[in-house]
Amino acid sequence: MGAFTMDSRKLLLLVMILGLSQISRAQSPTYGVGRTPTAEEIRAWDISIGPDGKELPPGRGTAVEGAGLFVRKACFGCHGETGSGGPAPTLIKSDGKSKSPYPCLTPCVNDSNVMALHAPYATTMWDYINRAMPLTKEGKLKPNEVYALTAFLLYKNGIIREDEVMDAQSLPKVKMPNRDHFALAPEWKHGTPRLQGYP
Amino acid sequence: MTYNDYGHLVADASVAALSRQVGPKSIITFPSGDQKLPGPGFYEITGLAWSGSGAIRSVEMSFDGGQTWTPAELRSPAYPMAHTRFGFHWKWDGKECVMMSRCTDELGTVQPTRAEIAKYWDKPNDSDLQIRGLDNSVFPWRVASDGSVHNGLA
Repeated sequence: MGAFTMDSRKLLLLVMILGLSQISRAQSPTYGVGRTPTAEEIRAWDISIGPDGKELPPGRGTAVEGAGLFVRKACFGCHGETGSGGPAPTLIKSDGKSKSPYPCLTPCVNDSNVMALHAPYATTMWDYINRAMPLTKEGKLKPNEVYALTAFLLYKNGIIREDEVMDAQSLPKVKMPNRDHFALAPEWKHGTPRLQGYP
Repeated sequence: MTYNDYGHLVADASVAALSRQVGPKSIITFPSGDQKLPGPGFYEITGLAWSGSGAIRSVEMSFDGGQTWTPAELRSPAYPMAHTRFGFHWKWDGKECVMMSRCTDELGTVQPTRAEIAKYWDKPNDSDLQIRGLDNSVFPWRVASDGSVHNGLA
């Protein structure tokens, strides 16, 4: 039993030494290119807003302000005057009477998967508008404008009241309609097909 | 990151599973849409194959709508998660034809045709068929008799 323990220790030591040498070999050499990003550069990249919204900046906005911005920032140009029927993804569920003249682009976002109705968190919408809109002028919206546009889309899809103020405190508290209605992917292990039986 | 990452969550666990990782996928880069073959004769078809499940093992070509498949050759080393170049020596007789490629990855998963996907979901295989999850379906190019190459689904 004693000998067995000793052997295991030796083996463990050997494994550790091998492991360390692997680590030192895995560190890549430096080639004298690149530089450490500045604090300001990191701040500019670090714009992700998590579900709980704790990264949200100060600011506020309402649906009424957002309705004005939807026109002034020319959102309607791609998303349609009513937030649907344009070439860009549908933002406001349509009345179902008018059919879009445009083919659905990939990813196809139509009435069945409007972001405000599908996203699990309102903060997700804030992040997306802030990060990716308006197309070609991404990142230029001010926090107040992003709060207002988010409030506008939430109101028009029937999730909040028109007079509700959206800010860093209220936005994460919005209960999204699809919060509890999505599927978790089945347990998947590396090296196995993504879905058994799928061709 | 795309718009789809922003919470376009699905209610069907099967679709969720197909959304996490792309299956084996291949495309023919030559000949492809908007190109024009000068005339009948010998051509080297080339394309790329990849898979979220690992390295590409093999690629095949079909010229009869997916009824029969002939092996293509891998033209570059096949690494996991990497594009693998494939090639195929082809003699075009000048008649209109539809060409497709399909690949198989190291798990043995074969890239499916739209017909096979439609059958799996029990849906008609028409232009309304929506491929659920990440689309790794076989894509056809149609070569017209004048040598012009077109989207084989349109």
